[in-house]
Amino acid sequence: MEPNQPGQTFQPDSTKPARKVLCIEDEHFIGELYKRALDNAGYDTTLEVDGVKGLELAQTDQYDIILLDLMVPNLTGIDILRILRDPAKTPHLKAKIVITTNLEQREDVREDIEKQADGYIVKAELTPKEIVQFLNDIK
Amino acid sequence: MDYFKKTKRQYTLNLLAALIVSNALVLSVWIVLNYWQVKLVYAVIATAVVFIVFSLLFAFSLSNYLIEPVRAVWQLILSIAPHGESVEAPKIEAMKVGREMTLSLSRQIYQMTSSSNKAFNDAKNPPRQLLNDNFVASKLPLPLFILDQTENIVYANTSAADYLGISAKEMTGKNFYMVMDMSFPSENTLDVWLKDVKANSATASMSWERVKLNVLDNHPTRLFDLAAFYNRDNPEHYETMVVLFDHTKQYAQDDQAVSYVALTVHELRTPLTLLRGYIEALQEEIGQDTHPELVDFMQKMNAAAQQLTAFVNNILNVARIDNDQLQLSLHEENWAEIVQSAVNSIALRAKVRGISIETSIAPDIPTVGVDRLSIHEVINNLIDNAIKYSGQSKTIKVEAHMTEDGLVETTVQDFGLGINANIMSNLFTKFYRDHRNRAQVGGTGLGLYLSKAIITAHGGNIWVKSTLGKGSTFGFTIQPYSQLADELKNNDNKGITRGAHGWIKNHSLYRR
Repeated sequence: MEPNQPGQTFQPDSTKPARKVLCIEDEHFIGELYKRALDNAGYDTTLEVDGVKGLELAQTDQYDIILLDLMVPNLTGIDILRILRDPAKTPHLKAKIVITTNLEQREDVREDIEKQADGYIVKAELTPKEIVQFLNDIK
Repeated sequence: MDYFKKTKRQYTLNLLAALIVSNALVLSVWIVLNYWQVKLVYAVIATAVVFIVFSLLFAFSLSNYLIEPVRAVWQLILSIAPHGESVEAPKIEAMKVGREMTLSLSRQIYQMTSSSNKAFNDAKNPPRQLLNDNFVASKLPLPLFILDQTENIVYANTSAADYLGISAKEMTGKNFYMVMDMSFPSENTLDVWLKDVKANSATASMSWERVKLNVLDNHPTRLFDLAAFYNRDNPEHYETMVVLFDHTKQYAQDDQAVSYVALTVHELRTPLTLLRGYIEALQEEIGQDTHPELVDFMQKMNAAAQQLTAFVNNILNVARIDNDQLQLSLHEENWAEIVQSAVNSIALRAKVRGISIETSIAPDIPTVGVDRLSIHEVINNLIDNAIKYSGQSKTIKVEAHMTEDGLVETTVQDFGLGINANIMSNLFTKFYRDHRNRAQVGGTGLGLYLSKAIITAHGGNIWVKSTLGKGSTFGFTIQPYSQLADELKNNDNKGITRGAHGWIKNHSLYRR
């Protein structure tokens, strides 16, 4: 996609507080790129590389959007998703969860993602700015 | 009827020969006696004696000879009758008169009794007796099942028992589908096929690949090919024969091959994500005010990274297709939007080569039933090819319209090198590339192979028209959503809006 397409840049509404994003991503450089693009677009982004710490942060329920990589150390993204969406383990979160991955899933994992996540992104297919646009479209 | 005529002719010839011989004998005796001037009374008596003796001789020998077909049929019927006398089976092959007729008659009788007289089978040939351990297939190293009309197992050989871990005795009499809980890769399953052939054919055979046996938790899954032979004229209990060819190991390896490709793709995608991310960041930092050459370089780098991303997807999908694991999820989609989004995603690649893509989409196209991700790759591959083979030409036309048959047809036309007529049929083959252009044009020969597989899986057709030196048009059809067979429709939308490279649930204004 053209990187400089009109309407792509998020215009933050100055009357509302910035939307908070938690990005659980073990590839540090990718995390940095996402944080840069998101912060430039008016989001408030927290980066976390570790699965267990990421889960703990997510459970504090202070985020609007959680970008969740599937391959993170100590606790996989799909486990984090299942715990966050299990009412017995996590009270209802306001956050929308968007899976970000470059790995193809097995059928059962794919089904769980479709049931429990709010969005799904193949990372290599979207540039950071396109991901910002993607998040802008999440209600 | 011909056999009957032939038999009748044989009878006529035999009788004629006998009559001529006996009459000639009587006549010659009469003539000889007259020649010797024997007294008339003695001559008459002698001739009469000769006549009677020979007539008796002929009558006895001829009747033995001519009664053979009748006797054979009589023996045949008695030998197979359930409560008949003990009679030897006829030796039809040794017969001199009416052999063909009797053979054909005996076949008819065998079939009639085997298919219509249930009492006969039960009384005379209980299936388990015939299919005992001496049955030739019992030691066959392939699992073999024989099913009756109601698809109950009447026989399972040793290999079958070992394969399922159930004794043959336990299986016998049970319904085949209860014993074998199978998943077939397509909708034409064994029972669907059997239902069809029973209604329409006397004999038929069919084979399936990659059938999966759903087993209990503590047993490993089995994957096999299956062959079935149906013969309506078989004795009732042995109507269908099913043989399994186990390929568990081989098919599991195929699955591993796909996971291996998936992992490789993951490893390729991570640096690609970074590359594309940093290129975009650089473009932002440098801005449009920099030296135009630098801007151009950045665009070309970006286009190359996009091309590599698309290629990585191709590799993954070819691995899926080759292992029958391409799973499409057909959803109701706006075709104009999909085509435009695919064109947008490749526009940069065209642009850096100075090529412009003209898109024209007819306004009357209804919603279509497609797997967005896969169909995006098809359009992408066709445009990518058009870019590669455009030569000096700078225009590519993408059009979509309705055909007379009510299908949605989309074409991608270039005005470049064109394709030699004699290689057109090979174009959709894996790894096939036009040898004339190999040196000038890069590629792997996977794109069209993949596109054809995806379009076929959508129930559509893909075609090509080309004139050497004038360019090529690739086109494909897909079905409007309303025409899609109900079972193909994926109604399980869960409020998901799919993009080419991701999806959002309950989106607000998701457009790409």
